[in-house]
Amino acid sequence: MGPQHWLYTIPLRLRSVFLSRRVERELDEELQFHLERKIEEGIAKGLSPKEARYAAMRAMDGLEQRKEAMRDMRRIHWLTDFLDDARFAIRSLSRTPGLTAFVVITLALGIGMTSGTFSMVDALIFKPYPVPHPSGVATLVSTTHDSSFDDFSYREYLDIRDKTKSYDGVIANADMEAVGFSAEPRAASRVRGGMMVSGNYFHVLGVEPQLGRGFREDEDQVPGRNAVVVLGPDFWKHEFASDPSVVGRTVRLNGKDFTVIGVAPETFPGMLIFGHPDFYMPLAMSRVFSTKPQKNFFEDRDDRELHLRARLKQGTTLQQAQNELAMLAQNFEREYPKVNRGRGAAVHTQFEMRTRTDDVNWKFGVIFVTLALAVLLVACTNVAGLLLSRARARTREIAVRLAIGAGRFRLIRLLLTESLILASLGGLAGIAIGYGIVEWFQSFQNVIFMTDLPFSIPFQMDTRVLLASLALSALSALLCGLEPALQSTRTDLVNGLKSADVDVPGRKRLWGRNVLVVAQVSASLMLLTASFLMVRGFQHSLLEGTGFAKDHLLMVGFDPRLVQYNTAQTQQFYKLLAERVREAPGVQSEALTQNIPLGDDYFDGIGFVPEAFQMPRDRENFNAMMDTVNEGYFETMGIPILHGRGFLASDTAEAPRVAVVNEQFAKHYWPREDAVGRHIRLDSAAGTPVEIVGVVRTIKYQFTAEKPMDFVYMPLAQHPIARMTLMLRSGGDALQLVPSVKEVVRTLDPNLPMLETRAYEDFYLNKAVEGPRIAMKLVGSMGVVGLLLAIAGLYGLVAYNVSRRTREIGIRMALGAASSDVLRLVMGKGLVLVGVGTVVGLVMGFAVEQLMNSMLFNAGGVDLVAYVIVVPSLFLVTMLAAYVPARRASRIAPTQALRYE
Amino acid sequence: MSKPNDLVQGTLDLLLLKILALAPLHGWAISLRLKSISGDVLQVSEGSLYPALHKLEQEGWITAEWKQTENNRRAKFYSLTRLGRKQLESEAANWQRLSSAISHVVRLEEA
Repeated sequence: MGPQHWLYTIPLRLRSVFLSRRVERELDEELQFHLERKIEEGIAKGLSPKEARYAAMRAMDGLEQRKEAMRDMRRIHWLTDFLDDARFAIRSLSRTPGLTAFVVITLALGIGMTSGTFSMVDALIFKPYPVPHPSGVATLVSTTHDSSFDDFSYREYLDIRDKTKSYDGVIANADMEAVGFSAEPRAASRVRGGMMVSGNYFHVLGVEPQLGRGFREDEDQVPGRNAVVVLGPDFWKHEFASDPSVVGRTVRLNGKDFTVIGVAPETFPGMLIFGHPDFYMPLAMSRVFSTKPQKNFFEDRDDRELHLRARLKQGTTLQQAQNELAMLAQNFEREYPKVNRGRGAAVHTQFEMRTRTDDVNWKFGVIFVTLALAVLLVACTNVAGLLLSRARARTREIAVRLAIGAGRFRLIRLLLTESLILASLGGLAGIAIGYGIVEWFQSFQNVIFMTDLPFSIPFQMDTRVLLASLALSALSALLCGLEPALQSTRTDLVNGLKSADVDVPGRKRLWGRNVLVVAQVSASLMLLTASFLMVRGFQHSLLEGTGFAKDHLLMVGFDPRLVQYNTAQTQQFYKLLAERVREAPGVQSEALTQNIPLGDDYFDGIGFVPEAFQMPRDRENFNAMMDTVNEGYFETMGIPILHGRGFLASDTAEAPRVAVVNEQFAKHYWPREDAVGRHIRLDSAAGTPVEIVGVVRTIKYQFTAEKPMDFVYMPLAQHPIARMTLMLRSGGDALQLVPSVKEVVRTLDPNLPMLETRAYEDFYLNKAVEGPRIAMKLVGSMGVVGLLLAIAGLYGLVAYNVSRRTREIGIRMALGAASSDVLRLVMGKGLVLVGVGTVVGLVMGFAVEQLMNSMLFNAGGVDLVAYVIVVPSLFLVTMLAAYVPARRASRIAPTQALRYE
Repeated sequence: MSKPNDLVQGTLDLLLLKILALAPLHGWAISLRLKSISGDVLQVSEGSLYPALHKLEQEGWITAEWKQTENNRRAKFYSLTRLGRKQLESEAANWQRLSSAISHVVRLEEA
């Protein structure tokens, strides 16, 4: 049956559904016409009108049966039946508004939490690149011993682009960087996010600019020749008010004039998850934007700053591309052993890149979704339990239906329709909750990204998430509706008709219910454990401290490239800046650093060979993180020097190269000796020797929850860096220093902008405390919701059991059982179930703890405190939930219990 | 649902399609035509005619239109659609194959 067939039949089906009266009338009329002809024929043959009529009817085999047969032919009864079921279900649900509301809210919480967190995982992992045929875009990475996801140099890029045959095109881009931007030549420049890309970037990705054009390949061939720029869609909207005449205009980037040639389309906010570049520049203009003055971007094969992506040719597999690239990497190793030894290359899909092991974002997302699914599971078991009780209470109704001939399948469908309606309502409310959660995430935009660059939280309630939520609703309808439907239609007819609720409890039936309780208790125990661990993990990492003083610090960023300083001018500027701010009123001490600790930027890496250290045969060097700082850094940041000395003014560019390492580094390479006085050689065994002059305390560098890592400091005078951050320690409020800094900067160069001017403590609180606190709130609320649902579910199940056994209890008490016996009888089973649930939950909790430890926290062992707090409290609470209805049962007067029903 | 038990299953569809391929007709006229062309060999109960017509209509093979008859009565006239014509061709071909195969079998002589 082709689509053509549907073209004909769908309107017919729709007509049968929506114009059913008219269709019925036409049916009547058609048969009537036939009957009349038949009667006329009979009369013509000589029958009396009455006889003729009778004969005609007989020939039809019954008019109504014919009509029913014709209705069947329309093949819509499944739909009309469904509408009938739905109507019936809505009626019966609205008879128990309390129960319905509870079920809907329960499901809404489960679905909402899941869809809210799914929006996160979707954005972080699943959402395809915003380009045509996104699945054809692969990522190429350089691999070393220390990193499986390293970048490529410009020379390597050219070789890969020209020598591979697996791709329709290979593109390169650098990181999004702060760029000084001004729309008019005279206006003061502001910091915006620009990204250098290869000339074929837009073309290969298949992105058509909405205005003007993309780069031509020849615009990316001669260094410094073509100063052209393509604007991002948001930037064009906000900075230029969507002015179409912007194409052809001249703007200033880092003080140099660039011609705007195009605007990227609305559909292309960029290839990054969080960042949306304001504009794109060709790689050939790298001199204007380079951050590493020591390196020659166009020549140095070890100046690896480029991320490579490629579009696979039709019919080429990832494996083929992988083999080809690996061959090329081997050639590199042979041709350039100095910079490429031990270096391989790999091709990855988007999914592989987004789930890379060294990225924590998606792991958080996955943990959140897993926990949310646990909440949903608890919610579903809860609802299943309620529906089960409800179905039991309807035993007689169902028995009557079965007795008068309703098919079992038909009844199951009716009951499933009911749960589907509940789940749809829950799903709708859940989507609202999910929307709230996403909005809540969005509201932390400025907290999480405290930066001047265009970063945003990508979590959205879009069609993908909506569809997922609807699928979840359908799934939960099945989850919580199927078992009750199956059970209640398995009723023993005779008994079912005799009494409203005579239960002959088969082993199976009880088993199902017990599983519900165990599932709830264990899932909520796992949830609580997880949220507790997370809270304690963060608290622990905060308590552990960062290892440096955060208070009374002012941070101000500088980037003299924005006003076209060369390296010598830049060095001179920082020297004067440090000298003059030190004299400013209120300043106790001053420091310059390339990266602030716990900042948004990653520290640079450094390759080195430690002196007198047996290198493994297959490696050229080791790697560590590094920072470039000046003499005042350790004092200003309150980082104690453990051995040796910090940097001195005498460590000039002409003096012997020196470095300071952290304790972790020193212990790592010279576990039994003093590291001070030892040397490391940069890049390789033949590299520049650098003497270690001091060992400082290990602090937190990138995250508060990170494991201790090796770290190297280089003096600014010997390792010039263009963009630095000034840190000032004040006696009072840090922000009060701002005017004096402004004054100093004005005397040095009035055009130089001050970037990211903040009290460091504010920055720290936002980034390191507020971010984790958001995560804690989310996980904590999941734990609480899970627990509340489990309590409600357990209470409901025990209460239901009690009410079902009321008569039995009455008999027992009439025969002389004490109320304590009854209490024991009813509670006993609850105790066992909670016990089993606790054990299962503990096992799951341990598993989750292992997972979380391996992903997020450095705490190795089992967090006993979490269990000591969580397990007994859960046990107590669940016992209470069982106790309340049990107590009520034990107080029933026997006479009343026996008369029950 | 009543089946045209005196007809090989599915052949009623073929007959109806064939009749309607010749000219658009209403139900009564179809029942007369059925009787006359098959010379009373093929008995189609009037009862099963209308469900069969409805089925063909729902499949999209025939389409119906209310029109005036020659003596000015409103009646539902059925006619073949493009899809129906294709269906007729394939069913007719099937029938040919089947009937020739069966007659071949019937003509087999015992060895």
